[in-house]
Amino acid sequence: MKVHYGRQIIQPKIATSSEKFTISPAFIAHVCQRCGQKNNEKLPNNHFYCQACLSLGRVSSHDVLLSYPEPNDFTGEVILSWQGRLTRQQQDVSDELIETLARQREHLIWAVTGAGKTEMLFPVIYQALKQKLRVAIVSPRIDVIVELAPRLRQAFSQTDMVVLHGAQTEDYRYTQLVLATTHQMLRFKSAFDLLIVDEVDSFPYAGDKMLEHAVETARKSHSALIYLSATPTKALQKRVKHHELMASYLPLRFHQHLLPTLNTKIVSDWRKKLPAKFLKQIRQLTQNHGRFLIFVPKVADLKPVFQMIEKHFPDINGAYVHAADPYRQEKVQKMRDEAYQYLVTTTILERGVTFPGIDVLILGADEAIFSENALVQIAGRVGRSKDRPTGLVLAYIQHTTLKIRAAQHQIKQMNRRGKRLGGQ
Amino acid sequence: MTCRLCQEFLDDHASLLQTFGFIKWQKRQICQVCEATFSLIKTGCLGCGRNQDTQQLCYDCQRWQQQGKQLLNHQALYQYNDAMRQFMQQYKFNGDYALRAIFNHELIQKVQTIATDMVVPIPVSQHTMFTRGFNQTTGLIAGIKYQSILQVRTTQKSHQSQFNRQERLTREQIFTVKEGVSLQGKQILLIDDVYTTGNTLFHAADLLYELGAENVKSLSLAR
Ligand SMILES: [Zn+2]
Ligand SMILES: [Zn+2]
Ligand SMILES: [Zn+2]
Repeated sequence: MKVHYGRQIIQPKIATSSEKFTISPAFIAHVCQRCGQKNNEKLPNNHFYCQACLSLGRVSSHDVLLSYPEPNDFTGEVILSWQGRLTRQQQDVSDELIETLARQREHLIWAVTGAGKTEMLFPVIYQALKQKLRVAIVSPRIDVIVELAPRLRQAFSQTDMVVLHGAQTEDYRYTQLVLATTHQMLRFKSAFDLLIVDEVDSFPYAGDKMLEHAVETARKSHSALIYLSATPTKALQKRVKHHELMASYLPLRFHQHLLPTLNTKIVSDWRKKLPAKFLKQIRQLTQNHGRFLIFVPKVADLKPVFQMIEKHFPDINGAYVHAADPYRQEKVQKMRDEAYQYLVTTTILERGVTFPGIDVLILGADEAIFSENALVQIAGRVGRSKDRPTGLVLAYIQHTTLKIRAAQHQIKQMNRRGKRLGGQ
Repeated sequence: MTCRLCQEFLDDHASLLQTFGFIKWQKRQICQVCEATFSLIKTGCLGCGRNQDTQQLCYDCQRWQQQGKQLLNHQALYQYNDAMRQFMQQYKFNGDYALRAIFNHELIQKVQTIATDMVVPIPVSQHTMFTRGFNQTTGLIAGIKYQSILQVRTTQKSHQSQFNRQERLTREQIFTVKEGVSLQGKQILLIDDVYTTGNTLFHAADLLYELGAENVKSLSLAR
């Protein structure tokens, strides 16, 4: 029974259950009651099923939804094993979050990449766990979840935590702490007292009504909701402006250094032949044993670019990786373990993934796929460690674009605010 | 339009001849990458359609013959490989009925090459109709005229020993035929989604022969 606390389950109408579930219809006026969408596909005999949330198991008009209330049945001691210290600015934000929890409010943390968001969350999570509250930390991106998991396990070593995402095989179990992709929230109902949405601006959350619905149903009606973002969407910014959403602003990285600036180099068609400037840059980086990421616009660019680099630099180890790559996690891990000196990648590694001390080169930064926020996020991969708080962000372009200028402007603005706080 | 299996965008254009209706244009359902993961059966066992180098009867079919069965001349379009297993998982068990469109056109074309008086799909149980909500086989061949004369028998426990062989065979039957259907002298084409052991199709064929069918053949999407 315990395994069903706070969950929402699909069951055929003809099945019977002796447990004390709350039974509710799967559809009301053709709107799916699990995901809130009206996107149905026909079945024979005037029946239908929801296509929007199909990947989490089908909801059809042959089914009902079962749910079981969340009783906060948690025992055991909670220990915060994290030993680090917060900076002044981090401490201020952290205090605001404790307040958010106490008052069951919504709050946005608008923090530059590398501000140390996760550490700022530890105190509020700790506070919630001590009060026997149930906590979920979600992100639309699997990479973010995979990177967060060991850090949370380490910080709350006495608290059981289940990690849920599409590419993993761990079975669900009832835990006080849940780390999951936003999608997984569709399987919960009124379960969480504190829900934290990391990278709230990133695809596929931004503008996705279904995932917004998932977050709304998974939290209890009296609960706290925290959003984190380095590049909030215009919609979120608007809510802040109209005082519908409280926000704290953190323009400075944890090591008190400013964001690296985005520099451009004009080159000719790099798809035909890698530009001499670009190759020279790589030579320089490798001579200094530097590690780097190369971003390209399309999946189709990965292999040719990688092969050309390999031809010029046969002695250095690297790889290319894309979203659907079956070896994606392994390759990222190898980069982390320094078995690779570089990765050629698409925008999938634009956020969440951190490699200390890297530089970044972007080929075709003038192409449509690189939005203003994507460029800011990519630049944010650089200068993440205390030992090397700066680094290169070089965009190789054929023409300058408004998006590149907007990204440069965004970085400059954050740095201006950071400087006021003593950043350098 | 995106690929029904991997959601990649489909770059699909009709050629000039197709646009003007000289060649019938079939809208692409899946992308070329996904398409390449399925494996067509080019030559197969004459009895069961199993993918092999020659049409020679395979070991299983020789055994069926020894048991006195009339072979089904079964034909299957595709091998039951990983891609097909995943497709069936998604279509049948996750219940994504929309995926029936992927192989529909090919199956219709195949049925049209087989001489038959009556196309009969293998049925699903009432329980399946109330949970899955569809018969995966009739979904696959939607658009063809077929007769749903077979029904899954609702199981009834009984003392096997009371019956003679003939009665026992009927008892073991997993299907029944709707009342009032005449099969005398009919050529019948049975259709199933996947041919695994052949048991299901032979059960159905036994019953149809008993009721006077002259010839029973079979076809499936995968083998
Ligand atoms: Zn739905
Ligand atoms: Zn595909
Ligand atoms: Zn055979």
